[in-house]
Amino acid sequence: MSLDDPNLSSLIKRHATRHAAPDALRAGIRTQVTLAEAGRSETSAPPASKRRGWLALRWRTAAVSFAMGLACAALVLPLAQRLDLNAPLDAELVADHVRALQVGPLTEVVSTDRHTVKPWFQGRLDYAPPVFDLAAQGFPLMGGRIEHVRGSVVATLAYARNRHVIDVFVWPSAAQAAPLRSVRKGFNVLHWADGSMQYWAVSDLERAEMERFAQAWRQQAAAQ
Amino acid sequence: MSNRRVFDALVLPHLDAAYNLARWLLRSEQAAEDATQEASMRALRHIDSLRGDDARPWLLGIVRNTCFTMLERTRNETQWIDFDEAGFESALVQAPARDADPMLQLQHQRIRTQIDAAIRALSPPLREVILLREFEDLDYAQIAKIAGVPIGTVMSRLARARDRLRAALSSVSLGE
Repeated sequence: MSLDDPNLSSLIKRHATRHAAPDALRAGIRTQVTLAEAGRSETSAPPASKRRGWLALRWRTAAVSFAMGLACAALVLPLAQRLDLNAPLDAELVADHVRALQVGPLTEVVSTDRHTVKPWFQGRLDYAPPVFDLAAQGFPLMGGRIEHVRGSVVATLAYARNRHVIDVFVWPSAAQAAPLRSVRKGFNVLHWADGSMQYWAVSDLERAEMERFAQAWRQQAAAQ
Repeated sequence: MSNRRVFDALVLPHLDAAYNLARWLLRSEQAAEDATQEASMRALRHIDSLRGDDARPWLLGIVRNTCFTMLERTRNETQWIDFDEAGFESALVQAPARDADPMLQLQHQRIRTQIDAAIRALSPPLREVILLREFEDLDYAQIAKIAGVPIGTVMSRLARARDRLRAALSSVSLGE
């Protein structure tokens, strides 16, 4: 069925998500405006009399204090909202990563050779995850293991970067998604997809390094 | 009226529209908040230039330029989007139905996910005209002024964007 323009319009109007400005943002902008205006009137508008000037200064101080209070609220509110007890997918992967580091095994097949790691998954999975050696880019392969994520068996590859470990969780899904990033308990999580597999990388590496890793992976994948 | 009063009366009511535009253009919550804040402060500084104009397209123009400047800055990097928990979870798990008809709710949710994904997949120039036209109901002349292109370009971009959306949404069933 083909959509004509009015139908498409009404479909978008009725169903597309409209994002409302978060309250913290609204408060933050009001605060900034108050601060900016307070600073401006101080320099541009000299008081008519000493007494009125003193009063105005009192009011200005009150306004600035109030604004500061709002700013604090604006900072604290999003933090409070983040105390979420449902574990979303990225948090679950971080937990898997931490458990593998704590009690192991981090790698059930230990090898820097992708021709050893990739065949190891045969018979353990019903798909063949791509395995790349990124030693040339500074991320040598350490090995692989099997994880269970949301009821599915998931290929997990471990890479090293200096003394850090990067876990890459790979499972098949044709879903396309824009590259995502998040931070969980200080761990950086990146997610990308290539049309046949979903990739989630978890590590305590800093974000820029993680993005370099993902970049290297995607370049290697594109070169295949 | 003081600048502050003008700002409160004319700009603040359109903050949702401003944020929505930034959120859709930048595809990230954090970046959208930064852009909205930056654009608001710019609007306050240049509030004198508003005289007599309609505040909403004027503000959206500032937001749009702020967003495109931010996009330009990060053009050569992969654009990592902040993990949108709510969106992602709703795509994975069906929300508990509060209304009488869970089937209808589920269908609406599926349509929403598909439409959102289709709009997100448009290139920024195409996404921009769709947002200004369908979300904000601006006319071609207003969109042309905001995007800084001739009206003919707005119309051809709009047509191209609609074709893309049609192709992406061909599987959406409209039985409702």
